Amino acid sequence: MKSIFLIDDDPIFVYLTRRIIASIDRQCRIDEFADGDLAIRYLQKIHEKTELLPDIIFMDISMPVMDGWEFLNEYSVLKPKIEKDIALFIVSSSISPQEVERSKTYSAVSDFLIKPLERGKIVEIIDNARETAL
Amino acid sequence: MISFLHRLNKRWRRSKGEVKHAGNPDEADQRLIAEKLDKQKAFYENILNKLPTDIAVFDADHRYLFVNPGAISKEEYRKFIIGKDDYEYAAYRNRDISIAHARRAKFLEAKETGKEIRWEDSLTDPQGNMITHLRRMFPVYDEYGELSLVIGFGIDITDRKVMEEKQSAMLKQLSKQNTQLMDFCSIVSHNLRAPLVNMSMLVDFIEASNEPDEQRLLISKLRPVIENLHATFNELVESIQVKQDLEVKLEKVCLHECIKRTISGLATEINKLGARIETDFSEVSVIQYPPAYMNSIIHNLISNSLKYHYPGRPPLIRVRTRTRENKIVLSVEDNGLGIDLEKHRENFFKIGKVFHRHPNAKGFGLYMTKTHVEAMGGRIWVESVPEKGSVFYIEIDNRIKQAS
Repeated sequence: MKSIFLIDDDPIFVYLTRRIIASIDRQCRIDEFADGDLAIRYLQKIHEKTELLPDIIFMDISMPVMDGWEFLNEYSVLKPKIEKDIALFIVSSSISPQEVERSKTYSAVSDFLIKPLERGKIVEIIDNARETAL
Repeated sequence: MISFLHRLNKRWRRSKGEVKHAGNPDEADQRLIAEKLDKQKAFYENILNKLPTDIAVFDADHRYLFVNPGAISKEEYRKFIIGKDDYEYAAYRNRDISIAHARRAKFLEAKETGKEIRWEDSLTDPQGNMITHLRRMFPVYDEYGELSLVIGFGIDITDRKVMEEKQSAMLKQLSKQNTQLMDFCSIVSHNLRAPLVNMSMLVDFIEASNEPDEQRLLISKLRPVIENLHATFNELVESIQVKQDLEVKLEKVCLHECIKRTISGLATEINKLGARIETDFSEVSVIQYPPAYMNSIIHNLISNSLKYHYPGRPPLIRVRTRTRENKIVLSVEDNGLGIDLEKHRENFFKIGKVFHRHPNAKGFGLYMTKTHVEAMGGRIWVESVPEKGSVFYIEIDNRIKQAS
């Protein structure tokens, strides 16, 4: 069973992404976090429990309290202590090239995706995660 | 000065030696020559004394041979300094010896390198103004290659310096504005694009669905997205207008009126939360300001205090004004959630920054307030203790002139 974390403060986007994922793989477990702070706290709590860790993270940049960059700073510190291979995707509505460049400075980031998130892309990401898990 | 000119005369006469020894001039001729020399001396002396720059001439041991009135205006001091060095002069004038040290270092540099040196030095005049000189010093050698004189002169470049500082301040301001503009563009692209993306995704889903119930559900989700887009759009337009309002009208704004208007606008929230708003405008109650800006500033700060109240604690908001020299400081203090400034100080007034989990927080309010305040040449800052409350301060220049 795949596990996906959605870190995004936009309820409509989360709702629609949830529906797309469910239509691809009903078995997927989805956890939602409305900002970076909620997500990083949870990850810090469960980082040793591999069974609770996600396979994939979809994360927005512009969020209240703790934005995506701040999350990445803390996540980069936590990552060496995590034994699971987690694919992290930035999913942003920004089309700024500077943000894409900035995301490349984080080794934890697999890719920078621009909203809307297309179904085909999600299928591909879930399939890839499946392969590495096997 | 006399002795220096005397030496110059001697040197001149020596070099023109053939005149002196040619023939055997009678007394009348000698008198004529002496008169001519005196005239010439007066001529050169006049030029040196009238030049609007500082001129000082030193011997090989850094003792003064000559200074002009541009360098030392008082004749008494000018007379004293001849044959002395800067240490003796500093003691005589009761001045800091560090000036003498600095001048000696420059002199030695010119003497040792044998080249012209240049530097700028600034000092404060008795009126407290900063005066800057561009100084040059260069060695002069005699026909045997021996150092005979060092000439120093300086020109007052205060005006240029002031201009340079203005330019550098302007450049700083421009680069700050450029950063703000980039922030602004990124927020526009994000905040307008995000709801558009949602709308297009919702429409895709609606089109793909065959069930009327589901379609209705999806359509119902469109409404808040459109409202959000609308609100964001209005706020962006408003903030662009502030930036373009170069000729905003200043009016006498009565703060009591302003508060009254804000309270009636926020009456629902105030009543719901049991908020109390106290004002103290005993020092200043009327401010020259664009009324729309002042209304927006007060509305934003008070509505923030209400929005970020501490759960279960009725908000107590204190608005007051104080005068400080030519400035008015308006403060809005609350007992709300507060903000962790350690973490957020840098981003505090940035557009799109939100520090609390609140459904209606978009990060425009404080950005707008800052834009308003700065457009009028003021400053805004905050003090805050998490869980205790925040105080926002706005400093307003009390001397703002119409369309300045």
